[in-house]
Amino acid sequence: MRHLGTFSVALVLVASTATAQEEIYLKVTSPGLQRIVIGLAPFASRLGVDPVAASQFLNTLRADLDQTVVMGLLPEENARLVEAAPGNPGLTRQRWRAVGAQLLLEGSFSGAGNQLVVEAQLWELTSGEIAYSRRFQSSTSLAPTMAHTLANELVRLLTGKPGPFLSRIAFISDRSGAKELWLMRWDGSDPQQLTTHRSIALSPAWSPDGQRLAFTSFLRGQPQLFILRPTQGSFKPLSTLPGVNTSASFSPDGSQVAFAAGDGGSTYIWVVSSEGGTPVQLTTTRGISTQPAWSPNGRQIVFTSTVGGSPQLYAIDAEGTNLRRLTFQDTFADEASWAPDGVRLAYTTQVDGRFQIATLDLRTNQRTVIDGPGNNESPCWSPDGTMLAFVSTRTGRKQIFITDPVGRPRQITSEGNNTQPSWVALVQ
Amino acid sequence: MPRAKGIVGLLLAVLVLATACSTRKPRVTPDIPRPEASADESTSAAGSGTTVVHAEPAIGAAGTPELGVSASDLPTDLQELNRAGYLKDVFFDTNKADLRDDARDILAANTAWLKQHPNVRVQLEGHCDERNTEEYNLALGWRRVFAVKDYLVSLGVDAARLGVISYGEERPFATGHDESAWSQNRRVHIVITGR
Repeated sequence: MRHLGTFSVALVLVASTATAQEEIYLKVTSPGLQRIVIGLAPFASRLGVDPVAASQFLNTLRADLDQTVVMGLLPEENARLVEAAPGNPGLTRQRWRAVGAQLLLEGSFSGAGNQLVVEAQLWELTSGEIAYSRRFQSSTSLAPTMAHTLANELVRLLTGKPGPFLSRIAFISDRSGAKELWLMRWDGSDPQQLTTHRSIALSPAWSPDGQRLAFTSFLRGQPQLFILRPTQGSFKPLSTLPGVNTSASFSPDGSQVAFAAGDGGSTYIWVVSSEGGTPVQLTTTRGISTQPAWSPNGRQIVFTSTVGGSPQLYAIDAEGTNLRRLTFQDTFADEASWAPDGVRLAYTTQVDGRFQIATLDLRTNQRTVIDGPGNNESPCWSPDGTMLAFVSTRTGRKQIFITDPVGRPRQITSEGNNTQPSWVALVQ
Repeated sequence: MPRAKGIVGLLLAVLVLATACSTRKPRVTPDIPRPEASADESTSAAGSGTTVVHAEPAIGAAGTPELGVSASDLPTDLQELNRAGYLKDVFFDTNKADLRDDARDILAANTAWLKQHPNVRVQLEGHCDERNTEEYNLALGWRRVFAVKDYLVSLGVDAARLGVISYGEERPFATGHDESAWSQNRRVHIVITGR
């Protein structure tokens, strides 16, 4: 696939829409950049195509294309002005460009029975060239998944990284009456309950390949660490150390899990093979150490420690050496989440007695606190690093929010209390 | 779709596990009068610069319920035994796991009772208010539990009789969102698990 990075930078020099007063969580685009406008041409449909599946595909695609940082759908009122020029597709595309589209997605449906075939071409309207062309085939029941796959590829074309459309968020919800492990799509749709322990489930963490979830459960009385394979239904304990067995984090290659567990009255960071085995104690400072987060390059682990009094973020090399403090301006710092770029951390801080999300740029030590209503905590980056999920009490109970394409919060849960999001690109 | 099948299979599997483990601990918060003034308070009241000497286990102190009840006189039902309130919970300051003087007094009284009933085993449950992250509170509850355990052991209670667990903020006693609720939730709850 051809990468359109330079194209996108050249094309999007338009004034920013964000104002200073807005609660913006991530400025993922440089100042002055705006999303690329994509037009969606009417798809031709052959005889025999399942109309329900075709319309599901288009509705899903339309929603996806309007929910990314890098592109936005051409407004419907503009699209309606385009009159197709019969026999002259080039002229038709010029008309799309004239109403504001920078890219145009053309496509067609074919296939019969329970099969749906989609052929899609993306046109770059400035140069008039095809930027992308692909044929998808699947069963009609997977029409939304086909649309998500196409949308992911279009984002990859513009950014070099796939879009979030097949990503899912594991989280803890008490909507069934007890804290259980749940899974939903990135936009909050399609929630599925993964445990029915009627105990306490906490701290879900995905393996980066989306095959395994580590989490804490009081199922057997004491809190223990478990590994769940959601697609296979297998479930086994990973750590039964004394104490808390909480806040698991997979190493980027998925081979190891860092977590917090007790010994005496202190809690320390431990590392265990994700296949099981004897945990190795990584930190030795007495007091509270918790919430490890493995860096994307696998070399270091950030965690929370009270060694200096209040909880602060520290980093330690994965071998257990080179301990250093990262936060100095916070009265409280916890729940660090690494951005996939390995340069930024999001974490929970405290301002005037309330939790707020902060980010820390490790190159510049630039700390940014986002002042949102209510308590805001448990930040988690999207797998592509363009969005954050977090928990907020701004609408009453604890709910999960994600940031929209310009970094503003958008609530994606509403039933019960919903906490501790962990976001993965694809569940396998 | 294999994924859906897998999840259904999982749900069935965990349902079987769950049925065995769904008992919820009763929230027993006995309302027992405080022991009388301890050595702590009288010595510190005597003047500044006084070294605070902690009381001997307050055996027989007023307010300790039904001392001298032999094991055979205790209710056989554990829930009833816990409701009777022989052992008192101890409370903590915000974000702290240090034992306050009132906690030391209570633990001294608890120790006396535990020594009179050497077959009784207890679980020490660490609890926190909601004003921290969930994981931090689990660790804080763990510290509180060990502050209590270590003190009881120092007073002569056999460590083997003391089970420990931290619930963090997951099992609050009071559900409000103000200091009156929070102060109730910063505690180590002592549950009799065997007699």
